[in-house]
Amino acid sequence: MAALVNRSSSPTEDRDEIPPGTLYLLILKTIAVRGRLHGYEIAESIQQNSDEVLQVEEGSLYPALQRMLLKGWVTAEWGVTAGNRRARYYTLTPDGHKQLHLEVSQFQRVMGAIGRIIQTA
Amino acid sequence: MLLHRGKFQRELDEELRLHLDLREQQQREAGLSATSAHRTARRKFGNPTVLRENSHMAWGWNWLETFLQDVSYGIRSLLRSPALTTVALLSLGLGIGANTAIFSFIDAVMLRSLPIKNPAQLVVLGEGDEDGVTDRYGSTTLYSYPFYRQFQQKNEVFSDVATIDSMNANPYGTIDRRDQMEPMMIDIVSGTFFSTLGVEPAMGRMFTDDDDTTEGDHPVIVISYAWWQRAFAGDPNVLHHTVKLGDTTFNIVGVTPPGFFGIMVGHQPDLWVPMSMMKAIPPHSSGYNDNFFQSNLILGRLKPGVTHAQAEANVNVLYQQIIRAFPDAKLNAYNLQHLQKAHVPLTSLATGLSYLRRGFSDPLKILMGVTALVLLIACANIANLLLARSTARAREFAVRQALGARRIRLIRQLLTESLILALAGGLLGILFAVIADRLLLRMISGGFDADPIPLDVSLNLRLLLFTLFATIGTAVLFGIVPALRASRVEVTESLKDGRGSSHAPTRTPLGKALVIGQVALSLVLTVAAMLFLRSLVNLTHVDTGFARTGVLRLDIDSNVVGLKSDDPRMIAMFRQIEQRIAALHGVKGASFASFFFHQGSWNGSVNVPGAGYNERIDVRHNVIGDDYFKTLQIPVLAGRTFGTQDTATSHRVAIISESMARDLFPAGVNPVGRHYFMGHDPLPETDVEVIGVVKDVKFGSLDEPQEYVDYVPNPQHPSGYGALAVRYEGDFHVVSSGVQQAIHSVNRTLPIRHITTLDAQVQRTITNQRLVAQLSAFFGLLAIFLSSIGIYGLMSYLVSRRTNEIGIRMALGAARSNVRWLVMRDVVILIVIGIVVGVPVTLLGSSLVSSMLYGLQAADPLSLIAAILALLLVALFAGYLPARRASRVDPTVALRYE
Repeated sequence: MAALVNRSSSPTEDRDEIPPGTLYLLILKTIAVRGRLHGYEIAESIQQNSDEVLQVEEGSLYPALQRMLLKGWVTAEWGVTAGNRRARYYTLTPDGHKQLHLEVSQFQRVMGAIGRIIQTA
Repeated sequence: MLLHRGKFQRELDEELRLHLDLREQQQREAGLSATSAHRTARRKFGNPTVLRENSHMAWGWNWLETFLQDVSYGIRSLLRSPALTTVALLSLGLGIGANTAIFSFIDAVMLRSLPIKNPAQLVVLGEGDEDGVTDRYGSTTLYSYPFYRQFQQKNEVFSDVATIDSMNANPYGTIDRRDQMEPMMIDIVSGTFFSTLGVEPAMGRMFTDDDDTTEGDHPVIVISYAWWQRAFAGDPNVLHHTVKLGDTTFNIVGVTPPGFFGIMVGHQPDLWVPMSMMKAIPPHSSGYNDNFFQSNLILGRLKPGVTHAQAEANVNVLYQQIIRAFPDAKLNAYNLQHLQKAHVPLTSLATGLSYLRRGFSDPLKILMGVTALVLLIACANIANLLLARSTARAREFAVRQALGARRIRLIRQLLTESLILALAGGLLGILFAVIADRLLLRMISGGFDADPIPLDVSLNLRLLLFTLFATIGTAVLFGIVPALRASRVEVTESLKDGRGSSHAPTRTPLGKALVIGQVALSLVLTVAAMLFLRSLVNLTHVDTGFARTGVLRLDIDSNVVGLKSDDPRMIAMFRQIEQRIAALHGVKGASFASFFFHQGSWNGSVNVPGAGYNERIDVRHNVIGDDYFKTLQIPVLAGRTFGTQDTATSHRVAIISESMARDLFPAGVNPVGRHYFMGHDPLPETDVEVIGVVKDVKFGSLDEPQEYVDYVPNPQHPSGYGALAVRYEGDFHVVSSGVQQAIHSVNRTLPIRHITTLDAQVQRTITNQRLVAQLSAFFGLLAIFLSSIGIYGLMSYLVSRRTNEIGIRMALGAARSNVRWLVMRDVVILIVIGIVVGVPVTLLGSSLVSSMLYGLQAADPLSLIAAILALLLVALFAGYLPARRASRVDPTVALRYE
């Protein structure tokens, strides 16, 4: 998983990096919540739902989406946006849902462990 | 994914464009200006090109696409240097093509399995390398028909047993009611032959054991697919046709499948006749019931689970039993001794039997070695050329590495280029091989006017695999080191202007080593060619004992006359033909004989009273006409030749060869007038009187050791002659038509064939030596040519690198000849080292082929010196050209060239 992180370029924007390996998790969850999204909407959703904390370099979404298509976690179809533009909409497959559960539980396990270590210090 | 790349790119572009537009829109709504909104959107997005590539790469076809890229780039860069590419392709094509052609023959003659069911289970009794008929006890290769019958019934280790006559009959026969008789190739086989081999008919049925049970009443034949197409034009009603041989009309009952030829590689029979009919076909053999008429090979299919050793044991036990149990077995001490010593080995029949193997397996193996060496020389050339080119491309590689290409990527690309070169060379090679195969088949068959041997050397899968393997091997061989060298580039050094000395030392030791190797290998090949050529010349100058030029030869088939050979009319007919021909204008003598040269033999031992009997001495007997010695101009050393006084009823006479007189008769006594017995036992019917002694002749082959020959006149040993010789002066065709007319004036029905000269027949016997000599000469020249290209290439490169230095020298006052010598010194050193390395290899190689040489030893100094001189001459010339160019360099130009 290659998530290229955008180092903050202007002084007003102060974003944090997303931990490596979590890009798939974020995309899967975002699509699962909203059902049917196109690329831009996914990026916006991640940004907004993280209260502007996380910002993914938006272009890196697309290779990730291609890989997820190959692995069978999402399917894509062309549709029309509200602004009457052609866009490709992504939805989760049952495999994708399974993968989401897997990644969530793994993430919680890891984070829980880290949290315990931090608390004891 | 590859095919839809365009569509994929377009859709991805559309997605990205939408994203960027929406982001831009959002930024503008947030208050930025149009331009900064645009910039911000792009900055947030990232590098679209990289993203596009990553998206595409995710699909995993990257490796194939880069490979195709490499291929097209490689082709373009090869086309950019046409001279190198042409030379490389030609050398590769010739090298790979030669190897493939020779291998196709090796495959056809030695390696290919018979086209029958499960050939690995088949074995033949004995060595399978004899043909003829013998009555000696202890014969393990040839068996009688009654033996076969007993063996078939009693054996426990074979599921099927069959037998085939070792002699191939080639009589004339008539198809249906046609007017013309035609020569036919016939194999006489047991009824179980086809079932043992597991052959299914293409039409009709094959023989069964029933066709073979009683003599004379199964006039059926099976014809070959090829003959069906040729003689019957593929008539679907062929089973209603007949063939008349001798006095018997045979019915065609079946056609064998295409490609089936029996068990002898290089022999294609037209039809098969069951053993029960052997008497009906010329030569009307009476071996069906004769326990000791041993002329057949016995083959069998091993039962599953039976090992070779078990089978051999069972066979040997049976062998002794069956022979001793024959009621007419003469079990005297002599025969018993031979019987007891006899051991029957079992020889695998998986690749069939072949007379070709005896003559050609050594030459083919040698030629394979020769062509492999030529290919190595070609590869060395190409490696050197590629090394030179990669040094020239150093800058290109430096730039690519500076831009981020990994070394592996460069190596992969260079190897791909080598692979393209090799594949193109391989395709060219297949083309050469197809042409060469036809040429080689003609050469092996003995010339362009001879019948081609029925050997299938067309392209097949195994051949193509061999070519592929050779191609990839050569690509790796000549490509890998240049690839490694080229990619090991120091980026900064190479990008600097001017000729840095950093990459110079690394190339030349390897290049020099390659050239030294080429010179050494060329020496080996040149010496080999010289040895074989001189061998051939020695052979052609062998004194055959008879004068072989100016003699016409032809064969007739006297069987069609329908008389037995001892019928006085037959004997008179031969005499009459000889006399009529002798009366023709330009004819100096004419005679029939059983054998002239290399036609087989009739051997036996002789018992000379007064000298000890030595059963190991074989004397070759020849039945001849009266003018035999006059026709062949064999000097008569004592006594007289045969004449009209030697008839069927006069006392039996013989003429002996001079070595026979010297060795087999008591010393100091004139053999003329003495008697001896032709055979082991002193029986009155084998007693002959010596009436003459003649000079020794070569009987079977030019390089045979001296043979004992004795001659008997036809009336006293009637044989249905086939072979006629006529000594003539003048035009061959005129004499030939006169002779044929004379023959037909005596008997119009006699078929005449194989009209040629005695000299041509003698030449035909050294076909394989001629083949090896011609081909090794060709490849030797090719090797020298390729090596000189290698030397020229290397020296040109070295000279061009030293242009600067040469300019300085000349500016400082060096003469042109000094400069020439400067370069030539390097050339001479290289060549001398190459020759020094090559000499021990040559001596080793020659000792391997010493069995094939005639009249000279393997370490022949004359050939070695001649080859060294030839090589020196050519190589020095090749090196001289760049040296001359170097001396012509204009100092000012050279100095300016930095």
